[in-house]
Amino acid sequence: MNRLLGTSIVSMFLVAGSAATAFECKRSEASFDKPGGFPERALTMIVPYGPAGGSGQVAAAMAEAVTELTGIPINRDHKPGGSGTVGMTAYMAAPADGYNVLEHIDDASSAHALDSSVPNPASDLIPLVTSQVTFSQIYIRTNETRYTDWPSFVEWVKAQDGKATIANVSKEGSMERVTMRFITDATGMSIQQISFDKGAPRYGALLGGQVDALFEQPGDVRNFLDAKQFKPILTIFDERPGAFADTPTHREMGMDFDPLLRFRGFYVHADAPADRVEWLQWAFQRGYCEDSYQAFNESKFMTVIDSYRDTDGSKELITRSINQYRDVYKAMGLDVK
Amino acid sequence: MIDNFLAGSAALFGDPFTIGVFIFGVIGGMLFGAIPGVSMLTLAAILLPFTASLEPAQGVMLFAVIYCTGTYGGAITAILFNIPGAPENAPTAFDGYPMTQNGESGKAVGAAVLCSAIGGVASALIMMAATEPLANWAIRNIGPPEIFALVFFGLAVASSVGARTIWKGWMSVLIGLLIATIGQDPVGGINRYNFGLTDLAAGIAFVPAILGFFAVSEIFVQAEKKASGKYKAPKLSMTFPTWLELWMHKLAVLRSILVGFFCGILPGIGATLAAFMSYGEAVRWSKNREEFGKGKLEGVISAETANNAATGAAMIPLLALGLPGGALTAMMVAVFQMHDLQPGPLVFMLSPDLIWIVFAAMFYANLSILIIGLVETKTILNLLKIPFQFLAPLILMLATVGAYISRGLVLDVMVMFLAGIIGYLLRRSGFSIPGIVLGLILGKIGEQNFAQGMQMVHYDLGAYLSRPICAILIVLGTLTLLSSAYRAFATSQKSV
Repeated sequence: MNRLLGTSIVSMFLVAGSAATAFECKRSEASFDKPGGFPERALTMIVPYGPAGGSGQVAAAMAEAVTELTGIPINRDHKPGGSGTVGMTAYMAAPADGYNVLEHIDDASSAHALDSSVPNPASDLIPLVTSQVTFSQIYIRTNETRYTDWPSFVEWVKAQDGKATIANVSKEGSMERVTMRFITDATGMSIQQISFDKGAPRYGALLGGQVDALFEQPGDVRNFLDAKQFKPILTIFDERPGAFADTPTHREMGMDFDPLLRFRGFYVHADAPADRVEWLQWAFQRGYCEDSYQAFNESKFMTVIDSYRDTDGSKELITRSINQYRDVYKAMGLDVK
Repeated sequence: MIDNFLAGSAALFGDPFTIGVFIFGVIGGMLFGAIPGVSMLTLAAILLPFTASLEPAQGVMLFAVIYCTGTYGGAITAILFNIPGAPENAPTAFDGYPMTQNGESGKAVGAAVLCSAIGGVASALIMMAATEPLANWAIRNIGPPEIFALVFFGLAVASSVGARTIWKGWMSVLIGLLIATIGQDPVGGINRYNFGLTDLAAGIAFVPAILGFFAVSEIFVQAEKKASGKYKAPKLSMTFPTWLELWMHKLAVLRSILVGFFCGILPGIGATLAAFMSYGEAVRWSKNREEFGKGKLEGVISAETANNAATGAAMIPLLALGLPGGALTAMMVAVFQMHDLQPGPLVFMLSPDLIWIVFAAMFYANLSILIIGLVETKTILNLLKIPFQFLAPLILMLATVGAYISRGLVLDVMVMFLAGIIGYLLRRSGFSIPGIVLGLILGKIGEQNFAQGMQMVHYDLGAYLSRPICAILIVLGTLTLLSSAYRAFATSQKSV
């Protein structure tokens, strides 16, 4: 395991670096005619989270890339709160003229899975591009002595008789809580989930020994990995990504479930004019190819697996996630509407 | 340390462009901090993309300077017009505005300037001396149970502030706590009291609530006086606090530095809790508690010293551990990342020059508050000469823009006016607006940490008392509550 945090850190950069060098834009058109002069003014991007978090940063990076490409400014309008529902509601009330776009994450899919009256991002909206797709991992402190890898962690947790703790964002029905349900069912261990909605207290809780483990995505804890303070003991993904070649996957550890992914993307109203939607699809998909956006994604560990989905790919990802969440919610006995 | 500081100072002032960035940050932070709704965060968000073209040290330094001066900026409008520029300036208004009403605006603004500078400089010095050990101590010893206990300890004295009776003081705090429960619960994400309104799922935002309770209710109160012919324009006062007055508050300053620094060092907490806790401590240690909320200089000193003391402290978990203490320090992480740097232990090893330029810049930014503050104060005080009939609509307009702009929701404007009407009615009945705001802000922080702490101790409330810091704070808070209840009963008996 130490290899990951020693020599593998170097290889991690090499992998990420080579991925960036080898990156080929999947959207071939370098330019696209404006349909009827659209857009003739700035676009507005509604972001349902604050400017400093992961969504705020990806929105800023994509806005910058699209502006670089098209010369059209994008005003970001942050409407945080209610796990993304405030921003989604505001967006659905905004004019469907193509001038308003939305940034959202997989929370929109899980919210629809729980309550079908909430907009379905794959059908009530048109995904322009999904620009970040990532997997989750379980982390412990690098200097932890009570357990050093996944099997010893499971053994230790079982011995604590439900007293062990893990920090995550465990809101009802969240990706984190559902995945932890998969894990605890598969291993038979009982672990107390501590919900921290902000990253800093969550990471501080692990660093300071307030909790025993952390559920997170690698891009969000990259600095702690680089500083050798955290180490991953489980990757929740079907195969080992090259950057984490020494960390076992959940399937290797005997857990047979399809991993839920964290994804962030950009959307437009389903009833926006078709020619404008086509231009926006080009702008955002090509924006993904801009050097500035690629550099941003690389800095966030988002080149470890393929982060790009075009409109059809995004719809497939969203629909699969919704079905998966819905099955789990029913199995959990939640009131699926 | 001194060599490093001098090297950082030389790098800061050795390049004209870097000096320009520093001055821009100082003035920009003060201006944006002073306008309600348009906070230093707004300026930081606007500047974020442009920092990519700056040197890494310039970019990080710019944000650090904005943080220092922006935290001070909101004090002026809080004192003169009862409009706190940001939630961390709200406790400044508790006594600052009554001082303006009493013709002591110069004294209040002077104290705010001086104490902001003292708090900021002191925390910058502590930050330079002991960033890494302090950060490590904080994350190992302070978790959600301790933060909850700290909030409980702070709330225990809230009843003493500004109400006609202690019972009304407690009712005010409870109203604030009730308002704090609106929106999704902090752990399970279950909606409470949102009456089907999606926008309310995010809860009551601090900025519109504070603007409503303070600025709008004050306009109503003054308008009523104007209509009944009892209105008296606040007297313009250019008298600064004397050295003797300041010396008499030396213990309050020292205590506020410690409280502000302690709150600032906790990841995710920051200057707002620092200002409220420090104000609460001022009340707790005072022999004349009933004077708070009515224009006591110590109230302004405590709040303004602490919120600026929190700025240097908030840099400690950010720089030492990569843990931002609030939204602005989280944006600083983005500035680091734009330059392929990560805040945390490695940055001390890989970029010591950058760290010391930032430390030096924060030190000088806090000194700038003193210099610019003293120069500008007399000009700013002249704003009080504006007649009420012109000032009131201007304040209402500023407050409305401020309430709307923070989240872009009409709901927030409605919340502001509703808070203004409720605040006006409650003030007439002798309830305490500071008590309500204390309950609202500390309630949100406290509930979240209580819920997390309960998960951590497996819902065994007794386990809170097995954690030493937590136990001490809870016991002290309980004693304060009991003594408050005793005084309330004793007062009731006397009046009978």
